[in-house]
Amino acid sequence: MNELAIIIFAPLLAGALAWLIEVKGIRELIGVTGAALPLGFSLLLYQKTTEGINLALNIGVFNLTFALNHLNWFFIGIGTLVGFASILALVSTAKDSYEWLFALMSLTGVLGVFLANDMMTFFIFWEIMTFASFMMVLRYNRSASLKYFLLSVFGAYAMLIALGIIYAKLGTFDFGTIQQAMYQEAYASAFGAETLLSKNESALIYLLFLIAFGVKAGMFPLHVWAPDAYGETNQSYTAMFSGVLSKAGVYGFILLYVLMGTRLALEFGAFRSTTKFGYIIAFLGGLTIIVGGLLAALQEDIRKLFAYSSISQLGYILVGIGVGTALSIQAAMFHALSHALFKGLFFLIVATIVYRTGKTTFADMGGLAEKMPFTFAMAFIAILSLAGIPPLVGFASKWVLFEAVISQNLPILGGMVFFGSAIGFVYLIRFVYAVWFGQRPTDLDETKDAPLPMAIAMVILALFNVILGIAPGLVAKELNKIFGKEVIGGDLFILDLGFGKYNALAVTIYLVVGIIIAGIIYFLGAKVRKVPVTDTYQSANPVTMEYNLTIRRNFFLPLKETLAFWLRISFDRLYRTIGTWVEDLAEVMRTYIYNGNTQSYAWYLAILLLILALWGV
Amino acid sequence: MIEIALKALFILIYATFVGFMFMGIIRIVTARIHRRVGPPIYQPILDTIKLLSKKSNITHGLIYDFGVIYALGATILAIMFIPLGNIGVLRAYGDLVLITFLLEIPMLGIMFAAMSSGNPYAGIGAQRALLTLLAIQVPLGFAIVALAEYYGTFSTYEIVMAQQSMGWSITALPLLFAAIAYDLVLQAMFGKEPFDIMIAPGEISLGPMVEFGGKHMGILQIQHAIALFGETLFFSNIFLGGAAITIFGSSILNTIATLVVLLIKQTAVLLVATFMGAIFPRFTIDQAARFYWKWPTIIAALGAILASL
Repeated sequence: MNELAIIIFAPLLAGALAWLIEVKGIRELIGVTGAALPLGFSLLLYQKTTEGINLALNIGVFNLTFALNHLNWFFIGIGTLVGFASILALVSTAKDSYEWLFALMSLTGVLGVFLANDMMTFFIFWEIMTFASFMMVLRYNRSASLKYFLLSVFGAYAMLIALGIIYAKLGTFDFGTIQQAMYQEAYASAFGAETLLSKNESALIYLLFLIAFGVKAGMFPLHVWAPDAYGETNQSYTAMFSGVLSKAGVYGFILLYVLMGTRLALEFGAFRSTTKFGYIIAFLGGLTIIVGGLLAALQEDIRKLFAYSSISQLGYILVGIGVGTALSIQAAMFHALSHALFKGLFFLIVATIVYRTGKTTFADMGGLAEKMPFTFAMAFIAILSLAGIPPLVGFASKWVLFEAVISQNLPILGGMVFFGSAIGFVYLIRFVYAVWFGQRPTDLDETKDAPLPMAIAMVILALFNVILGIAPGLVAKELNKIFGKEVIGGDLFILDLGFGKYNALAVTIYLVVGIIIAGIIYFLGAKVRKVPVTDTYQSANPVTMEYNLTIRRNFFLPLKETLAFWLRISFDRLYRTIGTWVEDLAEVMRTYIYNGNTQSYAWYLAILLLILALWGV
Repeated sequence: MIEIALKALFILIYATFVGFMFMGIIRIVTARIHRRVGPPIYQPILDTIKLLSKKSNITHGLIYDFGVIYALGATILAIMFIPLGNIGVLRAYGDLVLITFLLEIPMLGIMFAAMSSGNPYAGIGAQRALLTLLAIQVPLGFAIVALAEYYGTFSTYEIVMAQQSMGWSITALPLLFAAIAYDLVLQAMFGKEPFDIMIAPGEISLGPMVEFGGKHMGILQIQHAIALFGETLFFSNIFLGGAAITIFGSSILNTIATLVVLLIKQTAVLLVATFMGAIFPRFTIDQAARFYWKWPTIIAALGAILASL
């Protein structure tokens, strides 16, 4: 048996077994093993990435082919690591074996997407992934799942049409062959020779792929499914849903570059120092950052906040991919890794909070830092990482991305990514304030800290956040291998782009030294006396626990008022309106065509005969 | 190794001392604008010593203490990366984007500490601080983009060196726009009127600072002094040519001359902010957001677009 087969099918098999066995304890053991096997084997396969491994399975009419190379090993690494952490946390939060089956099935789906070596395999596993994640959401909320399903199907069939066009013209599904054919096409069209695909057809393929991958990546304006779907499901699963499944969209965009980048670049020309087709992706990515971030700040539900935040962070990745230089694509992949690490961690934290308190809105929470110190410590790392505080991994990847975008002389995109970093700060502090600090509602007094499986899962991700942050060279070295040249220079601790340098070790050392100096000043002062939260300044009035001193609702009201005009424009509403129109149209068709009148059916027949007669049959 | 440590220590002490002098200058200049005499220039140092020697301190928990310590630690980290003439510890890594971030992160510590106190004034102050941060980030981002695109490098030290030969940044039109926008942003970074919305004395009882007293407040005073020094130094470096004087034979004389030139430039930046602060009343937070997203953004974006042509 090939190792690739184990990586891909172990989760599915384990899921099915867990579903069949349904004995508490054994079920969890099988499930976790199913996620641990791919992790172990992807580590083992690391040495073999240079020569590559292939796997072909003949299933009926299709040949499912898989191949391992540097590019997809990187994504497999992300997928198996975050997938494992998420499955481990599922031990505590899964309600029944139904969730084990579909959570593991979606892991198989996404690993299959990453390892696929032809379009048809890619599509099949894409559908498995979508279906399994749909089933996970369906368990919790019907309308959210249907919204997700509709948009996903829309995206998937856009991809299917694109596949159809490619197959009709080139007669192959194989990535390598398509890439070669497109490359030849590109130069053929540049020299004015005959091409298989016309300019309009390649534009159409590009547009269809943009929709297909954009839906999965949560690209504006196709992001509306994400807040509901990420929110309304098992939050341990969302760690994987947002951390890994959204990377399938990212991987799709990179694949678009690999397969037909040259062709599209030559066909549609350049915009400033990037390509036109890339700039469209990057600009939509920039809008995604802003829209996702602003909406995240205005949410009143902890799960929704992180769902929008996830959208916002994916915007960065799209900007990096869109700019399209070797450096910016590396930056995008680096950010894809760090996004998976910190967003996986965040959703595990949310899962813990929801699991322990049973509440999801900010209005019901507060003062949990004292009751869940361990989870708070993990949240602290995740916050520093997402907000882009050196020396954590979130900063390293954002820094490379910023420099990659700005060095290409793209000022508008530069402004957009800068705005995104501030808005990240803003919504995170809102989360910190409402959940961890301030007065604690009395019904949360009995809250316990995270259960062991979730704690382990969080520690795994937190460790990676810190280690890869201090030693970003580890990731840079891996990314350089994908491109086969040294795009990001430097060593283990230093990233060197030529026009900018980042020394993570120096930042760490000086931060520690700074904190020690500050600590010395602090400890030289007189002793501190601990006072309760109600012993506080309230315009010199006495306060008791009956007063609510913590602002839990509408924290960013001034922001909402400032943006009132823009917030009236909602794509969610637009899609709902279109949905209503389609339903109405169906209703109209039903009442007018199937009207129950025998004479009208006779008329249909007469009209049909008339048409046939005119046709000359 | 010891040499680096000594240099770092020198930068730290110099920054703290000059920062406190700057705080004193702000108070004197504001007083003179109001036709008062004002306190002596070393008054902030006395205040800080008094705060640090309070016999009774309160705390609201671990984060309340750690946030304050983190804020000071992060500020110390930030100044190490900004080139101070030819005394550089880490100036090779003084990246524009990095320094911009480093100058913002002490705020995270203050926020954490303030919020963990559970005071509603601290909450509202934090909200205002975050919205100010969000508002200034747009023009600030464009200003940084303009600089990076104009010079083609992100290294602050290389930008200083380029200005030695090409003239100050503000003499180039795109960067003049960027500098104007950045100077308006500085007003909010210093916490001066009309953008002292986050602190807002008299309106929300000092906002995030409301619960701090004793040594916590003392540490925040030191943090404020160093941050003031760092922000003015960064502005002088990127827009006003920094300083790298090499006319004297002796390296010590050169260093002193460099520090003096930088000090003059920093004071100029500070005085502009003080003059503006003394005559403008405070904005409300939504006015501030609308203001920063309009004029400074337009100016800075214009600069960035011109620089990229």
